[in-house]
Amino acid sequence: MDGEELTEQETALYDRQIRVWGADAQRRLSKAHILVYGLKGTVAEFCKNIVLAGVGSLTLVDDREVSEEALSANFLIPPDENVYAGKTLAELSCDSLKDFNPMVRVSVEKGDLSSFNVEFFSKFDVVVVSCSSLATKKLVNEKCRKLPKRVAFYTVDCKDSCGEIFVDLQVHRYSKKKNDETVECELQYSSFEEAISVPWRTLPRKTSKVYFAMRVLERFEEAEGRKPGEVSIEDLSGVLKLKKELFVSMNESHIPDSLLERLVTNAREFPPVCAIIGGILGQEVIKAISGKGDPLKNFFFFDATDGKGIIEDI
Amino acid sequence: MTNSTVQPSRSRDLDKLLLRPGNLVGPTFEPGLGLREDLKEYVKVLVVGAGGLGCELLKDLALSGFRELEVIDMDRIEVSNLNRQFLFRLEDVGKPKAEVAAKRVMERVSGVNIVPHFGRIEDKELDFYSKFSIIALGLDSIEARSYINAVACSFLEYDSDDNPQEETVKPMVDGGTEGFKGHARVIMPGTTPCFECTIWLFPPQVKFPLCTLAETPRTAAHCIEYAHLIKWDEVHSGKAFDPDDPEHMKWVYNEAVKRAELFGIPGVTYSLTQGVVKNIIPAIASTNAIISAACTLETLKIASGCSKTLSNYLTLPVKPRNFDGLRELCVAFLKYNGAEGLHTKVTEFVKDKDCLVCGPGVLVELETSVTLEKFISLLEEHPKLQLLKASISHRGKNLYMQAPPVLEEMTRSNLSLALFDLMGKISKDVVHATGTIIESDKKTSCLRKLLVVFKGADGVADMDTAGGA
Repeated sequence: MDGEELTEQETALYDRQIRVWGADAQRRLSKAHILVYGLKGTVAEFCKNIVLAGVGSLTLVDDREVSEEALSANFLIPPDENVYAGKTLAELSCDSLKDFNPMVRVSVEKGDLSSFNVEFFSKFDVVVVSCSSLATKKLVNEKCRKLPKRVAFYTVDCKDSCGEIFVDLQVHRYSKKKNDETVECELQYSSFEEAISVPWRTLPRKTSKVYFAMRVLERFEEAEGRKPGEVSIEDLSGVLKLKKELFVSMNESHIPDSLLERLVTNAREFPPVCAIIGGILGQEVIKAISGKGDPLKNFFFFDATDGKGIIEDI
Repeated sequence: MTNSTVQPSRSRDLDKLLLRPGNLVGPTFEPGLGLREDLKEYVKVLVVGAGGLGCELLKDLALSGFRELEVIDMDRIEVSNLNRQFLFRLEDVGKPKAEVAAKRVMERVSGVNIVPHFGRIEDKELDFYSKFSIIALGLDSIEARSYINAVACSFLEYDSDDNPQEETVKPMVDGGTEGFKGHARVIMPGTTPCFECTIWLFPPQVKFPLCTLAETPRTAAHCIEYAHLIKWDEVHSGKAFDPDDPEHMKWVYNEAVKRAELFGIPGVTYSLTQGVVKNIIPAIASTNAIISAACTLETLKIASGCSKTLSNYLTLPVKPRNFDGLRELCVAFLKYNGAEGLHTKVTEFVKDKDCLVCGPGVLVELETSVTLEKFISLLEEHPKLQLLKASISHRGKNLYMQAPPVLEEMTRSNLSLALFDLMGKISKDVVHATGTIIESDKKTSCLRKLLVVFKGADGVADMDTAGGA
């Protein structure tokens, strides 16, 4: 795993995927270090996918204890109370993930993500943040950007049957095959803060409504001092009021109240949506590490009610 | 065939991942609330395949609230499965996939019951399949899909207005993946095209002409197949080639290298040799995860639209859209390509009304005097069927079974009886025949629905009053 060549064990285990992306990409994966924060169903799915893919290491941060919500959508948490009592989501997930691929170093880091310093993030190649406040997302993204090496930054959140992925690869250079030729490509990404600062009135009308809904909820949580995801039906009127204020410069309200109502009433994740979003995120991280394939730029939204997956470049 | 939905624009990229057009099932689907409590108990789902897709499907269905699942797979676990079939560990290698998968999911999700079946889909009787509300497919071959499709469609019956009878519709959700690519589709027998109706969608299976292999190879694969299909028999006459024997594989590899050198063809590697000989499909976890989840969403939508009728059948709100007299249908055919960032196409397909599989059945007209034995031999020559060594069943009753020996002996006496009598003296009805067909020099198991019509029958008793058989 640390040497240059893949071991015989790795070649046997990864045979089917090496046939997809090549031994070179597999080697790069085996040297990659991933940090993940916020272990709900979607992130659990993502972790499963990249552990199976054979990354070098995966570090989990989530000091929360098991809840009924966690049991209903996170496949990594065993349902037996005797087993899970007293352990955090990160610890339990770590145990399960190690089973999926003993060749990946899976570990737990305790603490508040927003308090970790820039040096901490320098250990990683990819950082994935979920279940976080607006402030934390911006802060972690900035710390990643301060480092001399490129640290890919992602946010991912699912509520009800909607999901959102944000991608920041800073400057991403990769090559791809086009009509038998190899073409060199370069993409420039904005930070999370830059992206969400783009005034809404300048965004095209067809921009996914889920984007706006997520931003409204983020602002609401920030304004009310709530923990991420800590909204319920009682807050609906407050949320709708905030929505009106945020859209005040626009002639029409771009998002239906019903969408916000869904996301506020049922902040829980929906398992098949977790698997879709977790799968897509897994794929994106593999692309970023291996340098193969067109990465997503820069937001992805999914809503199971209409079955649409939309990529927005904001 | 497919409509591109990519509209490039200067300021943004908009791709759409369309899962379904929405007119396949009524607007009763309520995502996010999981499966309705009452449905959890009696919607039985069969997952066919416990591999890359099957493992993900079982997990997703269980987490989504389905309580009664069964899974069938004939394979045992191998090391190369472990990169994506996450329910299996290194110490499970050699064990039956279905059994280990069922066990692991039940350990993680409380309240779900999963019955595993280690065996071939062709070895199960029709009766086995009839109890499932929905069949979810995680298969890796066209033949297997074809077989299950024939099974599901065999239950389908039409009323006198040529509409599918709702309680005989057994929907399938079919997923398939290869590398970064995948598809998910829904088949509603009688309404959407079935698998056979759209079999032309699949790219032609690669089969090299013998003369290319023997005389004029151009690619590494040609050299490999020459060694595998031609040279092996020349040197090892009689001894069967075993793709799982590393010595055999090495022999083929060495011969392929020799041939490649002779013709100056680059690219023969041991890995490619294995891939060509074993027809290995490259596979990764994330594609399987996405496609299975898409299939699960489809399964939920179908199940949510169900209502329980008095007779305990699940009725599906299938509403075919009539368009210029043709039955047209939007198939939710999701195509996903993770590598190119290009997702989705939803395509409209039309059901083939002459389809042998999902139509009302291949018409066979007989005199009332024809014996069962004569009937079975007629099937061999029937131009649309050419079905060899057929076993026949009618309304769940085995009329004659070619195997196993016990059943053969029990049903042998029926052979000399008139089919008309065996079927209860009704003028026409559906009969199921399972046998072998020969396709491209290969023998495959085949199930066919037959509409047997007796000439000169009284016409007093007909299908509707035939009574349960």
